[in-house]
Amino acid sequence: MKVVHYLNQFFAGFGAEEAARTEPVRIEGAVGPGRGLGLDVAVTLACGDDFFAAHEDAALARLLGWIDDERPDVLICGPAFGAGRYGYACGVLAREASRRGVPVVAGMHGENPGVIAAEGGAYIIPTPTSVTGMREVLPRMADLARRLAAGGSLGSPQEEGYLPRGLRRNVFVERSAAARAIDMVIAKLAGEPFVSEVEVAFDRVQPPPPVADLSNALLALVSEAGCVPRGNPDRLPTRRSHMWLRYPLEGVRSFSPDSYETVHGGFDRTNGLADPNRLVPLDVVRVLEEEGRIGRVHEWFYTTTGVDTPVAVAARFGQEIGAELRTSGVEAVLLTGT
Amino acid sequence: MSDPLEIASFVAREVGVGSATGWHGGRLTIGSATLAQAAGGPGIRSVEVRVVQPGEPVRLTGVLDAVEPAVKAADPDSTFPGALGPAGRAGAGRSHRVDGVAVLASADLSDLGDLPASVVDMDGPAAALSPWSKTKNIVLRFELDPAASWEEVDLSIRRGTLRIARDLAATTFGSEPDRVEAVTLPETNPALPAVCAIVQVASEVPGEDTFVYGEPARDVAPMLLDPREVLDGAITNGWYDTAASANPTYLYQRSALVRSLIALHGRRLRCSGVVVTLGFLNSLEEKQAAAARAAALAREAGADGAILTAHGLGNSHTDTMLTCRACESLGIRTVLILAEEGGLTDHVPEADAIVSTGNVEEFAPGWRPEDVVGPDVASPRVAAYLAAATELGHSTLRAVSA
Repeated sequence: MKVVHYLNQFFAGFGAEEAARTEPVRIEGAVGPGRGLGLDVAVTLACGDDFFAAHEDAALARLLGWIDDERPDVLICGPAFGAGRYGYACGVLAREASRRGVPVVAGMHGENPGVIAAEGGAYIIPTPTSVTGMREVLPRMADLARRLAAGGSLGSPQEEGYLPRGLRRNVFVERSAAARAIDMVIAKLAGEPFVSEVEVAFDRVQPPPPVADLSNALLALVSEAGCVPRGNPDRLPTRRSHMWLRYPLEGVRSFSPDSYETVHGGFDRTNGLADPNRLVPLDVVRVLEEEGRIGRVHEWFYTTTGVDTPVAVAARFGQEIGAELRTSGVEAVLLTGT
Repeated sequence: MSDPLEIASFVAREVGVGSATGWHGGRLTIGSATLAQAAGGPGIRSVEVRVVQPGEPVRLTGVLDAVEPAVKAADPDSTFPGALGPAGRAGAGRSHRVDGVAVLASADLSDLGDLPASVVDMDGPAAALSPWSKTKNIVLRFELDPAASWEEVDLSIRRGTLRIARDLAATTFGSEPDRVEAVTLPETNPALPAVCAIVQVASEVPGEDTFVYGEPARDVAPMLLDPREVLDGAITNGWYDTAASANPTYLYQRSALVRSLIALHGRRLRCSGVVVTLGFLNSLEEKQAAAARAAALAREAGADGAILTAHGLGNSHTDTMLTCRACESLGIRTVLILAEEGGLTDHVPEADAIVSTGNVEEFAPGWRPEDVVGPDVASPRVAAYLAAATELGHSTLRAVSA
């Protein structure tokens, strides 16, 4: 079993803040906490927290290059406890290594930003915020690592003690959904405890404050109505889209049915094909722009098809489009859904 | 209800092909040529009849519906009232059913657009994903006339499938059933909690439809049904989309939820009826109005608690969530049965009790069937398997955190 371990500059013994700009390094054998794992650590990789934060792509390229060379059976990251920059580096490295098929075990506090950065790529053992928990955490991380390296699968987060990765795995159970639902409703009516099978961690976004002055604001059009230039030149899927697209609006006053269409596979397209402005209201927005009621219409409109899209994919579309809009200085969005 | 519903079950120990269709002491013989003739209708060029058994290395694709052979003993023509027979009422009198057999309708609907594959594997590692891997199936493969209108074709497929199901069950007339069960709901201990089922159906356009007594559900729902009507052919399926969360006719006839509620009536609860309501409604106003009406019907039925089922995912789950909220605001405590797409697309805080029927996004284990009825599909997800994650209560698949 081949183990690679990732540490930051402090735990690798290079120093504290003064060494935070240390570039990625590769060390033979176990270092620092790696010695407490009770595993045969082949290689330790380390990087300064600031270097990783400032040069993420370069740091990742080197660390992943070494991981590709070693082809470990398991990668262990941290534990990073409550340290945000260290935890983030562990999470990002874990995510990327897991995408290469390397099982990853990490340790950090449940609210460390590294948990989100890992995107479910690692089995993360929750730790206290401070390093005092080291002695309890290392054997638990080592236990998961040993089993993953042996090609085994792990039980549920409750059984194994890792943080839920946000993944939902299917199993067959003895009793039908109907029988379980009846038990649950009888318990609920009797005021007895019951456990919902879906714990909803719903991503509720607080609306930002209203746009102070729309007449000076840059407004963008975004839609999941499947609106594309006629002929669908970039092959936007009709359902289960894995992509979003953007098209220029410069010089476009209105979406003519001769030039635009919708390829959405989830609603009756008759009205949308007759007048694509009813999907993405460019015609009306241009009038408001001329009247000075909105500052300017953003030079791109963003589009995808919203039907049968897995939740995680839809969330990623939102984050990616949102990031682009923010970079472009967009202050308001008309988001038309279908 | 005048006479009680009485279900006589005939267990099919064997199903095989022969010269004439008939029932002989637990063996159902299929006369393919006659059946193929009887299954046809306007807009159908031909029908190929095939018998497939559990454990055969066969994959079925393009499966549109599954129907359990069933017939009304006193008046066979009145079977599936409204949908096949003349308008009438189901849920009373004696019905014959053939246990362990399903009639499956299959067709290539690729002209209609991007419909999912709708797979049943009779063997292999993913067989358990579809209930019809365990039944002996009479597969009706419909070849469509491309010149015919879709409405005409759809009606012919639905009626043809129900007709064959009725006629196969009618072969048991004169034979001794394996068991007879009287489905009764007598007055019972009022101290037991009253629980109803709120069954969501989808009824949008032909091909994405559900019928109550042959009427598109959108014209009649939300409405209250006696649970026995559901088991006796009042609801039939015409939805051929989103295979994993589709609800074929068979799952209403054999509704695990309705049968469990009836079985526990007088023991742990009082079964207070079935509310049929709608998913995929177009506007928020329509969704809220239907949710309020469904909740009001549940209260009218005297329900203290309600189990809410769903049909499809995404859009329709908003209807379920609003119905949950409407019920809870009337003091009716709810449990929801929902499939997942790696998560839920909507949620209200009142929905604190959810039963999972699995994550449709997961890949199914790979399998190379020796034979495929319909076009084969590469690496299907759970989403492609017919009723794999049905939200009607039948499913034993569930998602767990990992």
